[in-house]
Amino acid sequence: MPPALSTARPMLSTARAKRGTGDWRLETRLKWLGGWVHMTGVFAYAVRRIFTTIPLLVAATFVVFVLVSISGDPLARLATCTTCSDAAYDRLIDLYELDKPIPLRYVGWITDAATGDLGTSTSLGEKPVAGIVAERLWNTALLAVPSFLLIAFLAVVLGVFSAIKQYSIGDYLVTGASFVGIAMPTFFFGLLLQAFWGVWWQDWTGWKPFYVTGKHVASFGDYLASATLPIITLTIVLLATESRFQRAAMLEVIGSDYIRTARAKGLSERRVIFKHALRNALIPLVTLWALDFAGLLGGSVITETIFAWPGLGQLLVSALPNLDLDLVMGLVMVAALLTISFNLLADLLYGVLDPRIRYD
Amino acid sequence: MEVQGLTVEFPTEDGLVRAVRGVDMHIAEGEVLGIVGESGSGKSVTALATMRLLPKRAQVSGQVLFEGRDLLTLSDRAMRGVRGSDIAMIFQDPMTALNPVFTVGEQIVEMIRAHAPVGKPLAWKRTVELLDLVGISEPSRRARQYPHEFSGGMRQRAMIAMAVANRPKLLIADEPTTALDVTIQAQVMEVITEVQKAVGSALLLITHDLGLVAGIAHRVQVMYAGRVFENGATDEIFYRSVNPYTKGLLRSIPRLDAKEKTRLYTIPGLPPSGLSRNEACPFRPRCEFADAVCGTVPELVEVVPGHQSRCHHTQEVSM
Ligand SMILES: Nc1ncnc2c1ncn2[C@@H]1O[C@H](COP(=O)(O)OP(=O)(O)OP(=O)(O)O)[C@@H](O)[C@H]1O
Ligand SMILES: [Mg+2]
Repeated sequence: MPPALSTARPMLSTARAKRGTGDWRLETRLKWLGGWVHMTGVFAYAVRRIFTTIPLLVAATFVVFVLVSISGDPLARLATCTTCSDAAYDRLIDLYELDKPIPLRYVGWITDAATGDLGTSTSLGEKPVAGIVAERLWNTALLAVPSFLLIAFLAVVLGVFSAIKQYSIGDYLVTGASFVGIAMPTFFFGLLLQAFWGVWWQDWTGWKPFYVTGKHVASFGDYLASATLPIITLTIVLLATESRFQRAAMLEVIGSDYIRTARAKGLSERRVIFKHALRNALIPLVTLWALDFAGLLGGSVITETIFAWPGLGQLLVSALPNLDLDLVMGLVMVAALLTISFNLLADLLYGVLDPRIRYD
Repeated sequence: MEVQGLTVEFPTEDGLVRAVRGVDMHIAEGEVLGIVGESGSGKSVTALATMRLLPKRAQVSGQVLFEGRDLLTLSDRAMRGVRGSDIAMIFQDPMTALNPVFTVGEQIVEMIRAHAPVGKPLAWKRTVELLDLVGISEPSRRARQYPHEFSGGMRQRAMIAMAVANRPKLLIADEPTTALDVTIQAQVMEVITEVQKAVGSALLLITHDLGLVAGIAHRVQVMYAGRVFENGATDEIFYRSVNPYTKGLLRSIPRLDAKEKTRLYTIPGLPPSGLSRNEACPFRPRCEFADAVCGTVPELVEVVPGHQSRCHHTQEVSM
């Protein structure tokens, strides 16, 4: 919070106390609870939003459930199995309730899911889906969290830099690099990194600083050595778009009247840019952050596959062809929940960053 | 402040826009100077150029002398010391001139603390006093509010409070009431002049409304197409103008004593584009006195002491 507020507070309460006429109850509450009255508004808004996401979740999971259910027959594989007994058929029929129509199966799945039971995975040794997903989510987070922090930080730095140095050589370099980043497919950049560090660099120097495949977390050094390349791969593409976005937001703000006012006040250029301009230019970026972070936490199919990183994306790739219905549904559920909750978080953050927004 | 030969040019895709073409201007201590002219005549650019607030691509030449220093050649650092402290500015649109994410109080406190080693509590106290001075009721509560919680007129009052926070020697108000509701324009103008007197600063009042400067300005400077067309004491300009353009402006003021059904006068035609390289008097196509002599731009010549006009036909016009 900007410093002036702290000095303002005591004055404010005395001013209110003096004014105290009509709604005395509100005033006491304001006086005793400080900002909490406002917080109640935000809280009510959040609760309302959470309730409105329930039908959204139901609709999304229903569509996916139907699509996966009609896309293949879990019994088909047993037909080619010579050693399997009839009991195996019965177990699968029983497990997936294949004797019931799809809508009824869905009702069964969603009631279980509502109580926290996401079912059993068939492709990964009959383990509970919830446990598998939780473990893979953690693995994905090992890449997603540092990558997100890197993206958010660098996007701001690059975006602000190219905005204040608009049309300079530096700006053109950043712009050119981000177009390359946007245009280049993820798999190409990932493979390039692997080839470079795994083959070429080693050939030249005889030294291999990074693992080019697999997750290694025996020590922190191992984690760094194995996570760096996938993190860079994840970062490049999103950073390219986010820095463009930050540049545009910053340029728009820099051209605004209140920036001219700030300059007319005789403030230093640093204060004008980093206090007055950046503070406003971050607001439109919040949504992008939320969506990108939710996407990263949902797992990247391509990056995790290239680097053999056992995260959610890789899990989805193996669950789909195996018609591991409960596992696929569990992953869909996680992705949907992530997107919805980060969207909500973004909307709440808006309220913190932009005083013009009111939740009522 | 003394402005000499101020010229501002903007390189654009269509060519060089010559927004200000050699403007001289001086304001004495405590004086109120009105600058009037149609839209696009270069009033705002002139004001922004003196504060060095134009975009970097603007090419500015000439001199802006302020207390013996040329502001145009000052270092950035020294110029920052002048802005907001010696010279302060009030902008046209109060809806966009305040930063939406900081409280009004914070923004005024920042103005005070940018130029004086004052602690926050003291600056805050002063802020509340300033808001009170410009006629904002419950100033200590209002100071904690954000600009969007203020009405247009109140925001402009807050801008005024901010502008005079450091008792500037010169206050520049660029069309301070144009964006406001007609009903509050007079109030805001009154606040500006009262505060200006209280602080003892000079006032450069930019407007396209001649009526507005009538009761306030000591002197009026009429601008057209980037040049000063007439300059003199307010009464001289209003009652003894010798310039066809000024006369046109004066005739286009709505009058309360007008006979019924007389249509409001408007100067025919449009001002020339800033791109124009034409060597003729820029008012020639719109002027009833125009003839062959007007193929060159007239000089600004003294008519009576302290009253200058730019016209080849001063004699005929004054008759
Ligand atoms: N940044 C800029 N780039 C290019 N041209 C500009 C720029 N700023 C102003 N101009 C041009 O300079 C000329 C004078 O503009 P200015 O804003 O000073 O007019 P004004 O007298 O203040 O008019 P108004 O009454 O509309 O405020 C205009 O023709 C305008 O197009
Ligand atoms: Mg203007």
